[in-house]
Amino acid sequence: MTILACAALLIGIFLYVFYPQSKTEEQTQKTRLEFLRERKDAIYENLRDLNFEYRAGKYPEEDYLAQRAGMENEAAQILAEIEFLEAGTHAA
Amino acid sequence: MRACQTHVSRIFDRSLLRTWFQLSAACLLLIFMAGAGDTAARYKLLGHQLMCTCGCGQVLLECNHVGCTVSTQEEAELRNALARGDSDQLVLQGFVQKYGPTVLAAPPQSGFNLVAWIAPGLVFLLAMLGTALLIRKWKLHPVAMPPEMAADPHTDAVLAKIRKETEL
Amino acid sequence: MARWLGDNRQGRTGAMAAFGSFAILLGLVLCAYNFLVGAIALRQIAVHPQASFGPERLAESARRAGIGSFIALSAAAFALIYCAFTNDFSVSYILHHSNRALPWPYKFAALWSGQEGSLLLWAWLLAAYGFVLRVRHKVDVKLTAYASTILAAVQVFFTLLIVFPAPPFALTQGAVPADGFGLNPLLQYPEMVIHPPMLYLGYVGFSVPFAFALGALMMRYPGEKWIHITRRWTMVTWLFLTCGIFLGMHWAYAVLGWGGYWGWDPVENASLMPWLTGTAFLHSVMMQEKRGMMKSWNVWLIFTTFMLSILGTLLTRSGLVSSVHAFAESSIGTWFWVFLLIVLSVCLFTYILQRDHLQSEHKLESLISRESSFLFNNLVLLAACFTVLWGTLFPIISEYVEGSKVTVGPPFYNRVAVPIGIFLLFLTGIGPILAWRSTSFKSVQRNFLWPCIAGVVAALVLMAAGMRPWQDMGTLYSLMTFSLAALVVTAVGSEFWRGARVIQRHTGKNMLFSLVQLTRRNTRRYGGHLVHIGVVIVFVGLAGSAFNQSNEQEMGFHDSMTIGQYRLVCQSYTQDSNANYDSEYELLNVYKNGKFLAQMAPERRFYHASQQTETMVANHSTLERDLYVVYEGRNQDTNQPIIKVILNPLVAWIWIGVAVMAFGTLLALVPNMSAEQAARPRKPAEEEVPLPAGVGD
Repeated sequence: MTILACAALLIGIFLYVFYPQSKTEEQTQKTRLEFLRERKDAIYENLRDLNFEYRAGKYPEEDYLAQRAGMENEAAQILAEIEFLEAGTHAA
Repeated sequence: MRACQTHVSRIFDRSLLRTWFQLSAACLLLIFMAGAGDTAARYKLLGHQLMCTCGCGQVLLECNHVGCTVSTQEEAELRNALARGDSDQLVLQGFVQKYGPTVLAAPPQSGFNLVAWIAPGLVFLLAMLGTALLIRKWKLHPVAMPPEMAADPHTDAVLAKIRKETEL
Repeated sequence: MARWLGDNRQGRTGAMAAFGSFAILLGLVLCAYNFLVGAIALRQIAVHPQASFGPERLAESARRAGIGSFIALSAAAFALIYCAFTNDFSVSYILHHSNRALPWPYKFAALWSGQEGSLLLWAWLLAAYGFVLRVRHKVDVKLTAYASTILAAVQVFFTLLIVFPAPPFALTQGAVPADGFGLNPLLQYPEMVIHPPMLYLGYVGFSVPFAFALGALMMRYPGEKWIHITRRWTMVTWLFLTCGIFLGMHWAYAVLGWGGYWGWDPVENASLMPWLTGTAFLHSVMMQEKRGMMKSWNVWLIFTTFMLSILGTLLTRSGLVSSVHAFAESSIGTWFWVFLLIVLSVCLFTYILQRDHLQSEHKLESLISRESSFLFNNLVLLAACFTVLWGTLFPIISEYVEGSKVTVGPPFYNRVAVPIGIFLLFLTGIGPILAWRSTSFKSVQRNFLWPCIAGVVAALVLMAAGMRPWQDMGTLYSLMTFSLAALVVTAVGSEFWRGARVIQRHTGKNMLFSLVQLTRRNTRRYGGHLVHIGVVIVFVGLAGSAFNQSNEQEMGFHDSMTIGQYRLVCQSYTQDSNANYDSEYELLNVYKNGKFLAQMAPERRFYHASQQTETMVANHSTLERDLYVVYEGRNQDTNQPIIKVILNPLVAWIWIGVAVMAFGTLLALVPNMSAEQAARPRKPAEEEVPLPAGVGD
């Protein structure tokens, strides 16, 4: 009985591990484009936060404007690079 | 703005000083009161500075080990010592002589054991100092921000898009 | 090895043990396969990125082996529980940790009540976390492959422990006794059925963010998405650890009968240390996620957290420091030392090799900002962690230097750690008020006014009500805690209020709706605020301990005792017996201000199987205070019971605070409702990288 149970466990797991796969997930290196999109999302999130906190009265106007300008600038740079890379991939 | 800031920081300093003063006054009071306290209070105070040595790892007066003979004996000794009128120092010394230094619930504040008390504060201060230096370094060498985008219609359109997408 | 594979001397009774042993061995082979083959595959992919299909198939089989290891170890855990339920005393572990009369939930708890079983639980939980991680590998196939391989290495270590130094299925030598020696009566308490697994889930869980962090560093993972992926893991783990620690506190309070909940015992300290660094990590990781800062720091925080959870286990299981609930001394310490050394070397080596990958993208812009408050929060949490570690290790250091051991007990920690805790409470209040990047002086003034007023008013009211902070240190600390509690609650409350006002203006709906919307928009932030409120409530409960009162007295028939507003009168005292234990108890009528309040029955039990005595505390708990009554035993001369009564103010708030903390954490785990996403035009479908449910938010 014990041997039977052990054998069942062994064979079951063996089959699961080594059963030939028709397709496996590809391990792709993250592209610059993907990275930039993540960055863009992060900066967008920060900008939304900033806007919200400003409306909640946590920033005086001059702080808010300065910070928003900085972040928007950063976002614009990233968007420009995304656009450039996307144009490149489409062209290719 | 600046004047306002210094003014407030002065208030802050003053209130900090006052806090320090109150703190030290409280400490002094504590010391005096510890000397003049009645026997029951001293029993409680000293009983919490000693450990039960039966191996239960509990503070003497909190040992609830059922049938623990060690703690009852220690408690009796403590009561006797207080009844004799021994000073706190003497009582603790007596216990150390009889049961070894592990009977004290905290390391004595002398000799090498002083390190035990100083190290946490010292590490905290050093860490504070390190952080302060780090912040200073950051302020002196800020990371370069991306250059301002040239003002042209395209950039304006991008900025408008960003602003629209990150609205509330 | 013969006893290992279960020679058939025991006949049928040893069958399950043999199956369990086999399952553990199979688990070991599988995670070793995952580690070795996974590493080879990753290496091949890294060296020849354009190579053929081979290494990826290899990596896939490694992943599946990891999943298989969970199934194998589940079978082993099942086998051990089965042995406990069938009273299979041919298994030495069951003989020592169970008996026939033991109620069934505790038979279940036998799995973690001893060294071998708890290591099996550890290995199994690790495999379970690994299982979830490997099943959800599509989040990021490559990163998960790295994390899975690192996790497999940790699994190999823990599985090795239950194969060699601490096999749970070792057979009883000689004749098998008819009944077991029973479970330690201290552990026969409902919470003990969930406290250890919770704590272990916490300890073990930190392996996952650790594996991701190390993996991301090894593969030079671009960006901060690994933090996004591990965020939930870290929060869930933190929640388990928090609940585990507080369940332990509650257990100590309700069972050990000394009237307290935290004794600064090495085992308690061991659980607190990773909690402190883990909490620091949860905070500072936000700076990396939002601003690309503090990358090296975060990596080291999670490395340290993982190593501290191993060190804690090492301390308590190797007999290195004496503790109330240390496991039996064993050779297992050496294994842990070696493992810890390997982990440290790997971390150091990887860090030195890849440290240029961890350059900050931003730096601190202002001393008065959320960032710097996080920095200080980290500093204080780490200082607290160091203090605890230092206090725990100092007896060893002192023995080495001076030749004699000293005790580092509660007086040390109360003196050193309490001020740190109070400072932390202060930071809890000011952190959320400060804005990201920099907060100008004007906004500091605007945002701090009300919280500061609340703090000062609270202090004044309490002093007017009779608190005398100059009388002793305890009262001073308590007053500071109450005052800071008012400050923090006001600060956090104003965050909710102001946020909700913005939503209200935007939507035109009522305040309650706006509050709910606000929370749903950013569950992490507002859930986090709730956790802080929970922390404040816990602190208030802890501060109550400065006003404890106690009294101890012999109480025969109709004797009475007065403490505070309470009067206790003995109604009777008697003895009882059942299959599991004999008991003695006293019935007490309790009157508050002359009015009958309740009947209480403190008890003392003598367990037959383990031949141990145990007190059963009677506790009348209200929000204001706990009336905690212990049956201390009998006076041998008069044969009358001795009763100890402790009045513990505000203790109930500790448990309420933890519930709030848990609720806040659960809230933070809920995905955000994306109001902004509804307003934002969707990106074209081809750009979207689909994330499995529950990953991104």
